[in-house]
Amino acid sequence: MTPVLELCGLQTSFVTPGATIHALRDLSLSVARGEILGLVGESGSGKSLTGFSINRLISPPGRVTAGEVRLHGQDILPLSEPEMRRLRGRKIAMIFQDPMMTLNPVLRIGTQIRDALLAHERLSDAEIRTRAIAALDEVGIPAPEARLRTYPHQLSGGMRQRVAIAIALLHQPDLVIADEPTTALDVTIQGQILALVQGLCRDRGTALIWISHDLAVVAGLADRIAVMYAGRIVEEGPVDDILDAPAHPYTAGLIASVPVPGQRGGRLQQIPGRMPALTDLPPGCAFAPRCARATAACGTMPPLTPVNEARAVRCIHPLGQEVPA
Amino acid sequence: MSDPVLSVRDLGRSFGSSGDLVTRGLRRIGLAPPPAVVQAVADVSFDLHAGEVLGVVGESGCGKSTLGRMVAGLLEPTTGTIHRPEMPGAALPMQMIFQDPFSSLNPRKRVKSLIGEAPRVHRLAAPGEVEAYVSDLMERCGIDPGYADRFPHAFSGGQRQRVSIARALAVKPEILVCDEAVSALDVSIQAQIVNLFMDLRDELGLTYLFISHDLGVVEHISDRVMVMYLGRVVEMGPVDRIFDTPAHPYTRALIAGVPRLDRRRAVYAPIKGDIPSPLDPPSGCAFHPRCPMATELCRTERPGLRDMGDGRQAACHHAETMTKEGEPPWPATRTG
Ligand SMILES: Nc1ncnc2c1ncn2[C@@H]1O[C@H](COP(=O)(O)OP(=O)(O)OP(=O)(O)O)[C@@H](O)[C@H]1O
Ligand SMILES: Nc1ncnc2c1ncn2[C@@H]1O[C@H](COP(=O)(O)OP(=O)(O)O)[C@@H](O)[C@H]1O
Ligand code: SF4
Ligand code: SF4
Ligand SMILES: [Mg+2]
Ligand SMILES: [Mg+2]
Repeated sequence: MTPVLELCGLQTSFVTPGATIHALRDLSLSVARGEILGLVGESGSGKSLTGFSINRLISPPGRVTAGEVRLHGQDILPLSEPEMRRLRGRKIAMIFQDPMMTLNPVLRIGTQIRDALLAHERLSDAEIRTRAIAALDEVGIPAPEARLRTYPHQLSGGMRQRVAIAIALLHQPDLVIADEPTTALDVTIQGQILALVQGLCRDRGTALIWISHDLAVVAGLADRIAVMYAGRIVEEGPVDDILDAPAHPYTAGLIASVPVPGQRGGRLQQIPGRMPALTDLPPGCAFAPRCARATAACGTMPPLTPVNEARAVRCIHPLGQEVPA
Repeated sequence: MSDPVLSVRDLGRSFGSSGDLVTRGLRRIGLAPPPAVVQAVADVSFDLHAGEVLGVVGESGCGKSTLGRMVAGLLEPTTGTIHRPEMPGAALPMQMIFQDPFSSLNPRKRVKSLIGEAPRVHRLAAPGEVEAYVSDLMERCGIDPGYADRFPHAFSGGQRQRVSIARALAVKPEILVCDEAVSALDVSIQAQIVNLFMDLRDELGLTYLFISHDLGVVEHISDRVMVMYLGRVVEMGPVDRIFDTPAHPYTRALIAGVPRLDRRRAVYAPIKGDIPSPLDPPSGCAFHPRCPMATELCRTERPGLRDMGDGRQAACHHAETMTKEGEPPWPATRTG
């Protein structure tokens, strides 16, 4: 079956007269119907840009400079802006860390849902009202009828995020891109949102890309994980394989630096140094300056290489293989 | 046990919310209710012993930062006392480290004066030795002393946090109040800073009030843990007790809801409801509208913090039931 989304060799660059920065390089991944892909990596690794590139929402001087974004097998990069607008919100929806990216602070919730509905459908006022109430009810908002008349600032952060999710799911999109939607929420509220999104996507077979810097959140949610570093995917595969037997030294380092319950009071494993700036990338593997396994051979960029049919890694000396002396 | 380096008793802080211009106008002509008062922190008591890490957890608005600022001497309490025995040799015995090292570091000052100014003023280093003193501290905190002439913006988030730690250490404090000090950092950098805090404790005998909403980090670094809900302590005790057999339903809900690397395909069964507004706290136990174990008693009477006889205190009418039963009395996160 054709995946819902396929990225093939995507490259997103910021082109200014002085310099060209490639923020995403050679990015390939796919998400199937009903599948949850966790996209992880540290700040600045390119997670959000990936989401924006898929939605064609990169603002100049940034643009996609190579590759394809295939939705149900069709490349959407050549589409005109009006054609793209018909896809956004209907076929592809986004949820952000800050729900106010979706919500308008000066409009009532009911008005916003109405506008979102009318963007892609012709409906009577009565139909709009029924749909709006159903949508709020579905995301667990108590007394949805009364909420239609409230403004975003009258809601808690968790409630606002629920409304943003309700709007994102209005048209039953095939693909939802969720960019750290629980990062700003408290633990108990995060649990509520995770349970909600998980349920909705599973029930409808929605393909979901869940972007997060928090490996633990992704561990509990995703079917597959893709790890990004300095604009590239460095490792990708089923969640258990990646977390239990990482092949890339960076993935292994990330996993080891998360505090685990059994080791109270011990020192955490740390990755020395930090991610280099995009303007200051070393030749070859971008992780080499921090990598204990680096050799001279790592001065050439390794390709994302299949380990088996389900997973791939971008490393010359992946874990489990011996490093030549 | 040694005498505490800090004793906090019945500490409380309220804020009057004066409201916006319109509300104040209406109030003057008697059309709006009197100003609301937020009880940000109430009845907090604890001792801190030398070299100990007391973790403070709770969700946003529960009063963690307000408590931290009072302990650090940056905010006057409205009730209660903070007692600190004389500490010889400590110039400024309490220092606070914040989440955002960018806004807490003056962008127009070079790192060497950011770190060196206070010890110069307090004569902790002779005028001719300030430079060496600063270099030492930078080295200690893992920043290349060669960067002493740089401005804060030239550093990454993790490095800036190291600079603010070095600056705090420069006045030889006994106690560091860390308010979400690693929350804004990426995990790989967070691990570096957590390790630095632990090294400093071992080498300098520093004592910490470690405030964070991140339960994983608090569990890792703390000897004792205080759990707050709506301004009050709901449970406090040794880290093992709190995390292995939580006695308060809220503590249990928090711990059960935390995503963990080993929880795959988790089915979250989160506690329902929103965090209540501190402007309008629920009657009785503040947690009762969300608590699956709530009874009539909980709705009417606020449970006091009680000694549970195992070095732990909990504020719940039914804490005994919680600790007796191995499994939580409601569905928690499952993994499939
Ligand atoms: N307008 C821009 N001009 C130049 N570089 C940019 C621009 N926008 C983003 N970048 C760069 O692209 C890279 C990826 O950014 P992105 O926002 O995707 O990171 P992220 O992985 O989402 O990080 P975070 O976890 O902090 O959200 C970063 O190095 C960033 O500095
Ligand atoms: N300066 C202030 N004026 C009015 N209310 C305040 C002020 N500082 C804190 N509060 C209120 O006190 C409560 C506790 O806040 P805070 O200590 O910052 O919580 P936390 O750090 O746990 O998130 C919140 O309801 C907050 O809105
Ligand atoms: S390619 Fe080399 S430097 Fe890069 S991660 Fe693999 S071993 Fe390390
Ligand atoms: S006192 Fe009652 S409502 Fe409060 S936590 Fe205990 S059981 Fe729940
Ligand atoms: Mg981002
Ligand atoms: Mg705070």
